[in-house]
Amino acid sequence: MSERYELTLEWDVGRVETVRAKSDQTVVVAALDGGVQLPVGCLTGACATCTGELLSGELHHRRPPRSLKPRHVDAGYVLLCIAEPRSDCRIRVGSKVQSELVENPWK
Amino acid sequence: MSDADTPHESAEHSHHDHDHHDHHGPGYSTPQAAIEESEPEELAYVMSLYVGTDVEAPDFVSVVDVNPDSDTYCEIVDRVEMPNHGDELHHFGWNACSSSCHVEGLQRRYLLVPGVRSSRLHVIDTKDRRNPEIVKVIEPEEVFEHDLSTPHTVHCVPEGKIIVSMLGNADGDLPGGFLELDHDFNVVGRWDPPGEIGMNYDYWYQPRHNVMVSSEWAAPKTFLPGFDLEDVEQGKYGRHLNIWNWETHEVTQTIDLGEEGMIPLEVRFLHSPEAKHAYVGAALSSNVFHIHEDGDEWAAEKVIDVEAREHDDWEMPVPGLVTDLLVSMDDRYLFFSNWLHGDVRMYDISDPANPRLADQVWAGGHFGPRTPIDGKREVFGGPQMIQLSLDGTRLYWTTSLFSSWDNQFYPDEGEQGSVMLKADVNPRKGTMTLDESFMVDFGDLPNGPARGHEIRWPDGDCTSDVWL
Repeated sequence: MSERYELTLEWDVGRVETVRAKSDQTVVVAALDGGVQLPVGCLTGACATCTGELLSGELHHRRPPRSLKPRHVDAGYVLLCIAEPRSDCRIRVGSKVQSELVENPWK
Repeated sequence: MSDADTPHESAEHSHHDHDHHDHHGPGYSTPQAAIEESEPEELAYVMSLYVGTDVEAPDFVSVVDVNPDSDTYCEIVDRVEMPNHGDELHHFGWNACSSSCHVEGLQRRYLLVPGVRSSRLHVIDTKDRRNPEIVKVIEPEEVFEHDLSTPHTVHCVPEGKIIVSMLGNADGDLPGGFLELDHDFNVVGRWDPPGEIGMNYDYWYQPRHNVMVSSEWAAPKTFLPGFDLEDVEQGKYGRHLNIWNWETHEVTQTIDLGEEGMIPLEVRFLHSPEAKHAYVGAALSSNVFHIHEDGDEWAAEKVIDVEAREHDDWEMPVPGLVTDLLVSMDDRYLFFSNWLHGDVRMYDISDPANPRLADQVWAGGHFGPRTPIDGKREVFGGPQMIQLSLDGTRLYWTTSLFSSWDNQFYPDEGEQGSVMLKADVNPRKGTMTLDESFMVDFGDLPNGPARGHEIRWPDGDCTSDVWL
C-alpha cells in the first residue's frame, strides 16, 4: 500500500498549487492528475526540462538523474519526471528552474 | 536515371495504398530539373515549440503562407498541434524525395516529425497542404525497445524507406545510431549494427559513391539540459565525422576534425549525384570544413574560419556558432548562419576547396541590428535554420536553435518568440538583400510566443532531396 503525501508546487511568479501524490507516483504524473501541467521533455531523466528545486521534504529519484550533475543535485535540483515523494514536499517549479542549471559560459 | 536501370524498384510498392495513379515517382529527375520544374514555394512548414516554457500547450507544426500574392502572406495559417507536451520539435523530413523518383506510386506527402526530447515520432499527412493532419504516432517506448532515443535527422532513402539519426541510447547516453522505418512508417529496427559509432547528429548520403557521412553533437544527457563548457573540456562533445559504406551500413573511416572542428553539425553534399564534395559546419569552433574524396579515402579540411568577436557585454570573444548550412540546388553557393553573431553568409563554391565570400546579411543576434526592419518587431536570436527556394533566389531563416541553449544565449527568444525572415538572392550577381516586406512573427500566437526551427517546402527543398 503506497503512502500519500501533499506536494506544494510554487512558481516564481507567485502561483501556488497543492496536489496529492502517492509514493509510487512521479511528481509530474501527480501534478497532471491534479490538473497541473509541469514542463516536461523525455520523461526518463535524460533531458532536465522538468527540473524543480526541492525546498523542503524528501523526493526519491526512481532512476539515476542522468541529466543532473553532482553540483545540481547538491544544490537541491530534482528531476520531477522521475522523482517520487517520501514525505510532504514544497517544490519550486516552472521553466525558470531548468534555465538555472547552465549559464552563458562566455558572458 | 531511366526506368530500365532501377536497381531498387521492388514489388512491394505495387500494393502501396496510395490513392493516385501518377506513373512518376516523387521529386525531380535531376537537381537542374528541380530548378526548372518547381514553382515558387507558397507554403512553408516550420517546426514550432513551446517545450521548456511555461506555456501549457504542445509543440506544433506551423503552416506559413509565403505567397506574396496571398491575403494571408507572412501569416501562420494553420497549426498542427502535437498530441503530447514536451516533444521539442526540431528537424523533420519527407517520406519520399528525388531518391525515389523512379518508384511509381510513391508521393512526397507524409512528413515524419520527431520530438527530439520525447523520442516520439509523428506522421503528418499533407494531402491538404494548408490543413495537414497527424495520421500516426510512434510512441517513445517503441523507439526505446531498440535501445535508441533522441531522433534527429530524417532522410527518406531509396525504396521508400526512412532513416532517422538517433543521438543516444534508451537511457539518453551513448552510443547513438540510426532507426529504420518502412514506407508505412512501421519501425523496422536499427539500420546500423550497434557499436559502429558513439556520438551522432546529422547525416547525408551520396548513393552513387556508396558513401554516407554522419556528424557528432554529444550524448543527449549532455546537450539536452544546456551547453556546459565543462563538458567540452571533458571531451563530452563531438569533433569527428563518420564515413559509412552506404550499402553495408558500416563505418569505414572516422575523421578527427581536431580542435578546429568542435561540434560538427549539419552535413550537406553537393546535389549533383556525381559530386564528391560536401560541407560540414563545426558549430562551436565556428569553422566550415570541406569533405572530399582523397584517393581511396575521404578527407576534411577547414576552408572557412569565422573569427570570434569582442563584445562589450561579454567577458570572452563571441564565437559565430555556425549552426546551419546548405548548398544551393545548382551547387554554386554555400549559405550558412552565424547564430551568435547574427549574420547569414553566402559563399561562391565554384571551386569547392576554396569558398569565396560573396555576400552577408545581418539581422538580430549579438552584432546585427535588433530591429532589422524599420517599423517591425525586435529580433533577438540570430539567423539559425536556413532554407532556400529550389530556384536559389529566396533564402528564409528562423531564429531559435534549441530551447535550453536559447535560454543561455538569447533568453528573450523564448519569452518574445522567434521570427522568420527572408533575403532575396541574386545568384548571377552573388548578392543577398533583406526583404523588408517579409516577417513572420511567432511571438503573436493564441497560446503565447513560440520558437521556430527547421523549415521545409511541400515540393522539396535544398536540404531534403538526394539523387541516385
